Amino acid sequence: MTGPNTLLPGRRRAVTLRGRPELYTEYGADQALLNTPAKRRFAAVLLLVLVVVPFFLDRDLNGLLTRVFITSIGAIGLNLVTGYAGQVSLGHAFFLGLGAFTAAFLGNEPTGSLRGLGLEMWAWLPLSGLVAAAVGAMVAPLAARVRGLYLAILTLGLVFVGDHIFKEMRTFTGGPGIGRRAAAPIVGGLDLYRRQTILGVEIAGDVLYYFLCLILLLVLGVAARNLARSKTGRSFAAVRDRDIAAEVMGVPLVRTKVVAFTISSFYAGICGALLAVMYGTIVPENFGLLLSVDFLAMILIGGVATISGSIVGAAFVVLMPRLVQSLTDVLPFISRGGGGGALLSVDQLQGILFGALIVGFLVLEPRGLYGLWLRVRNYWKAWPFSY
Amino acid sequence: MSATMEQGTQASSAPGGARSIPSRIREHARRDPQRVCMREKRFGIWQDITWADYWDNVSLVAHGLAALGVEAGDRVAIHSENRPEWLYADVGTVALRAITMGLYPTNPAPEVAYLLRDSGSKVLIAEDQEQVDKALEVEAECPDLQHIVYLDPRGVREYEHSKLLSWDAFIAMGREHRDREPDLLDRRASEATGEDVATLIYTSGTTGPPKGAMLSVGNIDFAVETLVSGGGFYNPPAGPHDVILSYLPLCHVAERAATEWVNAEAGVTVHFAESIDTVQANLKEVQPTLFFAVPRIWEKLHAGIHIKMNAASPLKRAVFGFWMKMAERIGDELVANEGRHTVKTRVLYGLGYPFVFRALRDRVGLRKVRSAGSGAAPIAPEVLKFFFGIGVIIYEIYGMTENAAVATTNRPGRVKLGTVGEPQPGIEVRIDEQTGEILTRHPANFVGYWNKPDKTAEAIDADGWLHTGDVGEWVDGTHIKIVDRIKDIIITAGGKNISPSEIENLLKTSPYVKEAVVVGDGRPYLTALIGIELDTVGDWAQRRKLPYTTYRDLSEKPEVLQLVQKVVKDTNEKFARVENIRKFRIIPKELDHEDGELTATQKVKRASLYEMFGHLVDDMYANDTRYPGGDLVEVHTPGAAPVAAGRGGDA
Repeated sequence: MTGPNTLLPGRRRAVTLRGRPELYTEYGADQALLNTPAKRRFAAVLLLVLVVVPFFLDRDLNGLLTRVFITSIGAIGLNLVTGYAGQVSLGHAFFLGLGAFTAAFLGNEPTGSLRGLGLEMWAWLPLSGLVAAAVGAMVAPLAARVRGLYLAILTLGLVFVGDHIFKEMRTFTGGPGIGRRAAAPIVGGLDLYRRQTILGVEIAGDVLYYFLCLILLLVLGVAARNLARSKTGRSFAAVRDRDIAAEVMGVPLVRTKVVAFTISSFYAGICGALLAVMYGTIVPENFGLLLSVDFLAMILIGGVATISGSIVGAAFVVLMPRLVQSLTDVLPFISRGGGGGALLSVDQLQGILFGALIVGFLVLEPRGLYGLWLRVRNYWKAWPFSY
Repeated sequence: MSATMEQGTQASSAPGGARSIPSRIREHARRDPQRVCMREKRFGIWQDITWADYWDNVSLVAHGLAALGVEAGDRVAIHSENRPEWLYADVGTVALRAITMGLYPTNPAPEVAYLLRDSGSKVLIAEDQEQVDKALEVEAECPDLQHIVYLDPRGVREYEHSKLLSWDAFIAMGREHRDREPDLLDRRASEATGEDVATLIYTSGTTGPPKGAMLSVGNIDFAVETLVSGGGFYNPPAGPHDVILSYLPLCHVAERAATEWVNAEAGVTVHFAESIDTVQANLKEVQPTLFFAVPRIWEKLHAGIHIKMNAASPLKRAVFGFWMKMAERIGDELVANEGRHTVKTRVLYGLGYPFVFRALRDRVGLRKVRSAGSGAAPIAPEVLKFFFGIGVIIYEIYGMTENAAVATTNRPGRVKLGTVGEPQPGIEVRIDEQTGEILTRHPANFVGYWNKPDKTAEAIDADGWLHTGDVGEWVDGTHIKIVDRIKDIIITAGGKNISPSEIENLLKTSPYVKEAVVVGDGRPYLTALIGIELDTVGDWAQRRKLPYTTYRDLSEKPEVLQLVQKVVKDTNEKFARVENIRKFRIIPKELDHEDGELTATQKVKRASLYEMFGHLVDDMYANDTRYPGGDLVEVHTPGAAPVAAGRGGDA
């Protein structure tokens, strides 16, 4: 019954592994990001949809999706320091602004009152991240000395210091209320925010920029995910769960916190620079405390200490206003403008919803949308049992 | 089928030409060196072992044993859980024409002493500190024992004993010896004959001390041809794409067949469970295509599913409940059709598959099982029917150590529930007219008991018929139904013959009953000693907010006694009045191999049980109520007033 060998050893080996997702013969397979067939299939379908969809949406919606990608990068950055390493940061907006203005300085030609270097995107994008990271690394040792409430206050101070600096460094930022034009995403003489013909195919600027941001999100997202499951990521978690215990285990506290802040700031810098392109013109007021709060809301709603949660949270926060706006067509008691006899304005409703959601998630599901997903997944994972 | 029979007769007509297990493995290693043949979970992942690795280790063990002075015909004992080294040691020993003797990991020191002494083992391969300690404790009683090789050095490293040798040092000796005498195994292989004794398998010894059954290379060859290639064990026959999990003790003939022989013949990939406690988790990871289990494991799986379902959310319970009703109908239909699917079962099963059956089978690790077997003890039809219903058709197999597990099997499409199936092809089976005993005659009938010619003569008569000691009867002229062990049959004072195991098995279908022993030989009526299943009854008690501390405390609760009473009453309804159990007492402890109440294969040793719990039996027949138990009307526990049952008189 044994019969001669008709199959290659490699294929033979695969036969006894096929359809057995939990039979790990290598640590690599055990630790793989997409370790089950379902995850692999879902990721492939999602990617396919994301590649196809911009060609069918109008400019406005493409822009919205692009904004989701960009803010996701920033949210991932904040989640690294706040979610994974447990260091509450209200100063995220400052690093975003730093990235945006650095990019503007590096990417724009100098004009009469404004300085500029006129570099292309391949230079200004990484540099804006690095400058933010450098400033993050400088601030981090201070932040590493305090924790909890004090850290929140300290990082809050950062936003106000930043606000002041942005307003006063007029040759770099253009000053309050005036601002300056964001850097143009030019690579090799090709402006990625304008219609271009690539390999004979004409592609709209918004689609090009969409793909650029999607690729950056993928790269930075996977990088963050890898970081989180590496030695560094585990030391983040150790510090978050109990700093004293972490120190006892030999995790250097200050260094871990500095690394967390630095990497987080890098992500924020990149996010700020990319976001500025979408704004067109940036003013110091764009990067106030409210932006920090927005990002905190993203990771709280999406899911603390998860990468996919950060993305979902960013999508939620960016897309919700649009959703609420479309509600005005359905619900009569909401008006588009202020007043107008209606009960609520769009802005008011947004504010209320936003607040209610944050409170709701904190109380009911601290793990956010990701936690909800986990519940759903576990419900079916154990089917027909409950555990 | 006819080809199989030819193969079988060929092997029997020329025992000298019998292919041994080592030669089969060597053939695999030559033809297919890089293919994975086993996996062992170490450091969290399943490590691949190829045929080349397998054979290399086998030859190193053989040379290592030769270096230790083991000659053809010497005995080598193996005392370990299932792991690749077990097979290396076994096959290596046989490659040297020596004889393997396996011990159960649970064997306590006195039994280890008996087995080592009786077999006269020269070398013992012990797994870890636990087994080494047992051997060292009794080493003085075993004059033949010269070396103890230990696999796991943890805790043993510091021992200073002249007989101890680590596995690594042993393998290094083998390597050195192989460099010196590279043609040793070829020489031994050419000298080998089918009459060589390959292994001693000690019978579980429910009566008297264990006896070592000698199986020869020719016996095993015939068994392999019949069970593996002939589809006697798994049908359709196992192939290289099949995956199995090895978890039952390898010193038992059933697991030796299900692991080593199936692997050597058909090239299936064996996965070694980490331990007996992780079987469920490993089963889920490995998802074997072939699965053999003893009734105890099937019962545990069955009870486990129901316990977990009791804790599930209401929606899940409702969905499960509905599909279990459907499963019952599928099961009934399959049973009525001898295991063949009908349109109705296919439609019902197809509908239920996405809802419950697929997920359920996946969770318990049976999703990919294409052929399942049960053997080594009688199994309750209710359990079989449940698994039929969820799409796992279990074929009951019958065989024993003395005939190398070759006797009868149920075959696909010809399953008769409650029987052990039809005789394997190419063998002779008959039932003695006077005693009703099942007799077998074929080339896998064992050589004899080690050093016990008188016992051998009792087992094999002058015409070559093996007396199995089981009473059986023909069903429809094709299938055999086992009534009981001859020695266990109860003759009441009224002169009525009763098979206790049938009643016991029905009692044990209740998830709350773990052990049941029916008593009544020479007595006016039947009674039973009953042991509860701690997990399920504990769970049941928790649900009823019934506080308890220990097993004993729980088993003496009047509520628990009433629960047992209900099981007894329900069972009684299925039997004639003379076969009814009138009284029962609770066994105050969990039965255990170490304490001598169970055999290594978890079978109850009736003799020692009567000895230990005779007072319970006397209590029943003396119409006393000094020990916790009950009759059909009330239950009683010492210190508490008798509690009358809710309803019903003397049923």
